[in-house]
Amino acid sequence: MSAAVNVEEKLFQNRYRVDPGRPHIRIKQPEVCANDCQTQQCTFVCPAACYKVEGNGAVTLITDGCLECGSCRVICTEHANVAWEYPRGGHGILFKFG
Amino acid sequence: MAERFDAIVVGAGPSGNAAAYTLAKAGLKVLQIERGEYPGSKNVQGAILYSDALEKIIPDFRDDAPLERHIIEQRMWILDEQSFVGTHFRSDDYNKPPYNRYTIIRAQFDKWFSSKVREAGALLICETTVEQLLLDGRKVVGVRCDRMGGDVFADVVILADGVNSTLARKAGFHGELQPKNVALAVKEILFLPEETIQARFNIGEEEGVVIEMMGSVTEGMVGTGFLYTNKDSLTIGVGCLLSDFKANPKKTAPYALLEKLKRHPSILPLIEGGEMKEYCAHLIPEGGYNAVPKVHGDGWLIAGDSAGFVNAAHREGSNLAMTSGRLAAETVIAARAAGKPMTEKTLAAYRAALDDSFVMKDLKKYRRLPEVLETSPQFFTTYPALVTRAAKTLFTVDGVDKMTKQREVTGSFRAARKLTGLVGDAFKIWRATR
Repeated sequence: MSAAVNVEEKLFQNRYRVDPGRPHIRIKQPEVCANDCQTQQCTFVCPAACYKVEGNGAVTLITDGCLECGSCRVICTEHANVAWEYPRGGHGILFKFG
Repeated sequence: MAERFDAIVVGAGPSGNAAAYTLAKAGLKVLQIERGEYPGSKNVQGAILYSDALEKIIPDFRDDAPLERHIIEQRMWILDEQSFVGTHFRSDDYNKPPYNRYTIIRAQFDKWFSSKVREAGALLICETTVEQLLLDGRKVVGVRCDRMGGDVFADVVILADGVNSTLARKAGFHGELQPKNVALAVKEILFLPEETIQARFNIGEEEGVVIEMMGSVTEGMVGTGFLYTNKDSLTIGVGCLLSDFKANPKKTAPYALLEKLKRHPSILPLIEGGEMKEYCAHLIPEGGYNAVPKVHGDGWLIAGDSAGFVNAAHREGSNLAMTSGRLAAETVIAARAAGKPMTEKTLAAYRAALDDSFVMKDLKKYRRLPEVLETSPQFFTTYPALVTRAAKTLFTVDGVDKMTKQREVTGSFRAARKLTGLVGDAFKIWRATR
């Protein structure tokens, strides 16, 4: 049923200052996601749908809509494959209401 | 620029602001570092403000703090797909000032709190992320910021950097969060005219209602939904343990869960027509007493969410954050006054002060609850379904005699959990909350 909800519409209401070319989260070893991770839970738990499964089983990450919650890092318990930092000062999500 | 401060506070949320305010009021030279554009721009909360914790820091906060509505009614709803069974507590006593709790909008509230911190004399730098702590052996001596020449030094650093607690983790003070010890919550803010909110929730101007929900809305995951009334907006959200999101066979995304909640036939009429202006997500540390890490060491203290100070059973967090921030600051002030160095031994007074306060007392009281809930999904699936079914059976008039209905209800409970299960569940909850 997740497919029925358009998260992009929700994220569109938010205010961001993207730091171009400097994503604050990185998949350490993409081949681990593609080959070793059975669950790929980041692809459905991320509340901003930053992680997507590609047709070939690879997981891609685009951090532009990131809400900086930390879930992807915390749930990657088997492989600890998420390098997670906060964005540079002043960048990333800027909550208007919070 | 080897500028030196008496204390550095990382973060400008409730705990960081409480700490920086208390330190600056006592005359210390304080630097507070915030990574957001302004204090509040990175912060997310439901949000309910409990007056008591703030009163102890700023007694006259009501004069100019941006408060939305004072809460006069608390509703607890148990949902199934079609219905809810609820208890409501409404009292005119909550309509007599000074009010006990308010809804707030964190971006506005944190900005206000921060203005008080600066008035008290602390130096605030925004748009600056602290990358790591500077250590001299085991002692924290300062922080490294993501700005040119960004090393700053202080006698003590108070870590109020939030649930992810990246700085203490990088320094090895504690490990990674466990998925079973954090809830992921998502929420939206929906704008509606003030009068519409008042009519729909049966409240007057400035009066507010809180609805907490459990049951089918979390698809069997350990979690709750909530709906809060602000002045001219509603906040609606849902949060579940991260371990449950991960293990949910339906692979439901958090925003899909929220959409389902918004479409529930008992919720929809309350929020209908609301204009959505922001969508937020945040982790809540719900591991309780047993998940609290070491909170002090040589040259450092840790407060608020970064120390896991959330009482999940009572939906309290910001008051624990403010209180822990204040106690951290008071520990530093007392040590300084006594001419003591900021060693682990000196700062142990912080842990003692926490233990002596409601912060650790409450966490200790509920120390068994996280494990009980985590291993007892029936509290979030079976029981809500049984309760709503029982209500429907008893309240539907259809010619069936009442004794038969009563037997059906008790039979449904026994069939679902057996007598031993019912007694065992009651004992578990009693033991975890006594």
